[in-house]
Amino acid sequence: MRSPFHSEPEAFRFVLLLTLALIPLVLAATLGPTWLALVVLAVVLGALAVRVVQLRVRKLRGLELSVKMAPPHVGPAGERRVLVVANDTLSEEALLNEVERLASVPSTHVLVLVPALISPGARLTGAVDDLLDQARVRLNTALDRVGHDLVVAGKISEVDPLEGIEDAFATFAPDEVIVSTRWERAASGLEPRLAGLVRERFAVPVRHLVFEPGSGAQEPDEDTEARYRHEFGDAAARKFGVRALSGVGILAAVLMSTVALVQSSERDEARAASQAAAQAAALPPVAKMVALSVIAEYKRGPEGEKHDAFTTTEFAVRAGQPQELRIDNTDTVPHSITAPGAGVNIVVMPGTHTYTLLVKQPGRYLWFCTFVCDEWAMQHPGYMSGYLNVS
Amino acid sequence: MLVEHPDEAAGLAIASGLRFAGYAVGVCPGPRGRGQCPLTGPAGCAPAHDADLVVCSLGYEREAAREVLSELRTRYPDMPLLVDVPSDIDAELQELLDGCHRLPAAATPEQVVAAVQSLAGHAAEEGPADA
Repeated sequence: MRSPFHSEPEAFRFVLLLTLALIPLVLAATLGPTWLALVVLAVVLGALAVRVVQLRVRKLRGLELSVKMAPPHVGPAGERRVLVVANDTLSEEALLNEVERLASVPSTHVLVLVPALISPGARLTGAVDDLLDQARVRLNTALDRVGHDLVVAGKISEVDPLEGIEDAFATFAPDEVIVSTRWERAASGLEPRLAGLVRERFAVPVRHLVFEPGSGAQEPDEDTEARYRHEFGDAAARKFGVRALSGVGILAAVLMSTVALVQSSERDEARAASQAAAQAAALPPVAKMVALSVIAEYKRGPEGEKHDAFTTTEFAVRAGQPQELRIDNTDTVPHSITAPGAGVNIVVMPGTHTYTLLVKQPGRYLWFCTFVCDEWAMQHPGYMSGYLNVS
Repeated sequence: MLVEHPDEAAGLAIASGLRFAGYAVGVCPGPRGRGQCPLTGPAGCAPAHDADLVVCSLGYEREAAREVLSELRTRYPDMPLLVDVPSDIDAELQELLDGCHRLPAAATPEQVVAAVQSLAGHAAEEGPADA
């Protein structure tokens, strides 16, 4: 795999810049509020995007001086290898005649490369079979027509035309390249600018042959090639600009969504806290610990007789919060605070002990003593029975 | 091999000769136009860095070409430099060329290939190159 860096110092600068960009981001995320981290992230990404755009536009405009490369010649010194790159022009008799002429030169090998011109969209959706079939049919028809099976080979390329040519340089090592196009790019044809791109990248002679139906091969002059270069550069710059804008838009949308999400989350938390505080303020006060006693014949009933009773029979508690009850059972037998609806069953032993009353669901629950004592008192709230008011 | 030649056709002709002699070749037009030569900038030049030998034929009347030669000598002091030397050279260029292997002015591709093969054979006798 080719390193994206030109040199070690360049790689070092990249790591240094990455570190310098990460430091404020990490600091903002760790020490500051979320919005500050997002702002820093946006600034860092924005600076990165601007730099990428600068480099990309510079490259598209041809300001980068490129070094043409070529592998060593393959085969005997007298052998010549020609790469012919074509797609829709393969149907042109003039091109086939040219291939036939090349193949008839002794010690010449020809490779016909047909880029299938698969768009990124087709690649993404997997709709590539038709394009590949079309390229295959064109290639096979051309090879059948040209003949010279021993010296003319064909290959379909599924990748970008320039990448396909680069692959051909690695495997076929051509000594010359012929790029065949129309004067203007057709829907299923190669970009006329391709010849110029090959010329800029590879250190071998490159011929650009233009074929139109019924006419012979023509070679564009320098002005036409310059126009192709200019138009291609502008179109590529426009396309890149649109993509960059789309990227910035998507990034901005993601950032704004994240900010909105964080703010919404913070608002929800604040609202929930506020509501909880309001609810707590609205609820009746709850004592931290309630002290009471169970006393035999403590309270006189409506019929005039004295009955056993708890000195406190109404308990205000918070749902889910333990409530301590310090009960002095002055009787000689146990009693209880039993509320089946609330899941409460506290056995109150003789003597003074501390018990925990816990009810999970709010509501008003009847409780009573389940130990046989004063039968009348056990059935009447305010004596050996009462209510748990859970809020 | 890296061939630095301002004339595209001449550079390709030398590259073709070197390719048929069995070498992988890079061809660079040197500093020209608005673009700065990466060799003289902080980024450096990957093809020069990777090259086993550089054929430098930039014409040294321009300051930028001398700068490239100077950078090559400074950054890669052990890399053989085959320099196409003009007939009349000043003292500054003479100093710059000290230690370089020289080609006659406007050397033909055949002469360049022969010189490269001679240098490569010399290097092989001395031991395997690092690059």
